[in-house]
Amino acid sequence: MLLIIKRLWQVNWAEQWQYRANLLMYLLYWLVSPIIYLAVWTSIANQNGDVNGFTANDFTTYYMVLLICDQVTSNIVIHTFGYKIQDGSLSGELIKPIHPMLTNALINNIAFKTLSIIGFIPIWIALFFLFKPDFSNVALSGILLAIPAMIMGFFIGYLLSAAITALAFWTTRVYSIHEFYFALILLFSGQFVPLPLMPKLVQDIAQYLPFQLFLYYPIQLILGKLSTAQIIQGFASGVVWLGISMFLFNLVWRNGVKRYSAVGA
Amino acid sequence: MHTLKLLSSFFKVNVQMSLAYRTDTVVNILLNLMWLGWELLSLNIIFSNTTTLGGWGFGELIALLGVFRLVNTMMMALIWPNTEKFNQSIRDGSMDYTILQPVNSMFLVTFSRITVWRIWDLILAIVLIVVGINITGDATTTLNILTFMLLATTGTIVIYSLWIVLIALTFWFTKFDNNVTILHALLDSGRYPATVYPVWLRLIVTFIVPIAVATTIPLQALRGDLSPSQVVIFFFVGVFSFIIATRVWKAGLKQYSGASS
Repeated sequence: MLLIIKRLWQVNWAEQWQYRANLLMYLLYWLVSPIIYLAVWTSIANQNGDVNGFTANDFTTYYMVLLICDQVTSNIVIHTFGYKIQDGSLSGELIKPIHPMLTNALINNIAFKTLSIIGFIPIWIALFFLFKPDFSNVALSGILLAIPAMIMGFFIGYLLSAAITALAFWTTRVYSIHEFYFALILLFSGQFVPLPLMPKLVQDIAQYLPFQLFLYYPIQLILGKLSTAQIIQGFASGVVWLGISMFLFNLVWRNGVKRYSAVGA
Repeated sequence: MHTLKLLSSFFKVNVQMSLAYRTDTVVNILLNLMWLGWELLSLNIIFSNTTTLGGWGFGELIALLGVFRLVNTMMMALIWPNTEKFNQSIRDGSMDYTILQPVNSMFLVTFSRITVWRIWDLILAIVLIVVGINITGDATTTLNILTFMLLATTGTIVIYSLWIVLIALTFWFTKFDNNVTILHALLDSGRYPATVYPVWLRLIVTFIVPIAVATTIPLQALRGDLSPSQVVIFFFVGVFSFIIATRVWKAGLKQYSGASS
């Protein structure tokens, strides 16, 4: 198994490396929104002194850390896998004795992320000098706790996206469904603004959804804003959501593969 | 007249193509409404925490959202589909047939594909602009509205010209598939007044990828922030960028030698 993973890594790394110019463009695309939100909210905070207790520096540090968490926890499985179900090229992978989604596509995503993080580091450093965030409250323990939290967030996000991607077994409109899912992330993950500034209703619902585990929770961990009880609660809900998303994915995948008859069959 | 006839037949062809995907049209419009809801909610969140954003009020940001959606519609309804077709035609050489037509090739390349359902988006954008101006109230004069319309058109022409230059570069570098991604990536900056951005970002979105010229600047005209000389300058920037784009396109065409040679 280890040998298989090693080989898959080599193949997928080479594939991603080939598209490195594309990757830089994607990276740019990802960076723009958080930087705009940062500019908007720091301008409001500077104008009014603070926004519900959030100072300009609170916003700067929030979005600077958000850029990192977004890099680690997001995935592109819908783009790298969805078409395989639709055009039938999945058939070749299904007869291999490894899970297409949980090995090959997963490693492909990790290769993509590794490469994009390499490209991201110098950009983040440049942004650091442009925005000059004050990270004096960040402690090593928060960063150490955030690493497993982000990995957990990545896997929950990956399994949920994979489940949605597998809906392509039934419908050709899987990209529209994914767009809707993307809007849910935007609303409940803390991507637009720190969750306490969202309407009360959104905050209440967000508590019961996994999306804040992608961004808001790891950001708060790094910034050292959580109490021990909140940290434990976050990890516990992460474990629960990992189980739920694994179950959902398996359910969709198993039924989908049973239903699958490739183009031409 | 000839051009109009061509445009209307392009439109008819595109309507026929899209009729094959009726359900998709409905789904797309629903998603579009969802994003509108999100945009209004996000403005609501911003304005529940402050009375002005960079000195701009709620109505002005609604109007800005309308102008942004105008540019966004141009991006989605014209720029994406035509660029895709263009890149393909450079790679496989079918550009040959486009050049052979007795019509301006730049016109043919940039208007032959239209995503028809986006007309809906266009209407929505205009509604947002009208509602925004109404919320702003008496402060706006007729002259302001006229300069706003002039500069919104100018801004659209600037973006169109930049697009022409970007795709014309494909004549020189055949494998330049990312030609419009930079435009698309920075588009989101048009949602908010560029005046709230840090200087370096403002410079980028004004001079390098001039999204702000098509969004923030027309709104500034609406607010009466621009002096007459500034209005004249922006108007001529639009004219000149179009002239330059036409030149670059012609030079690019000379460069083109088909896919096989």
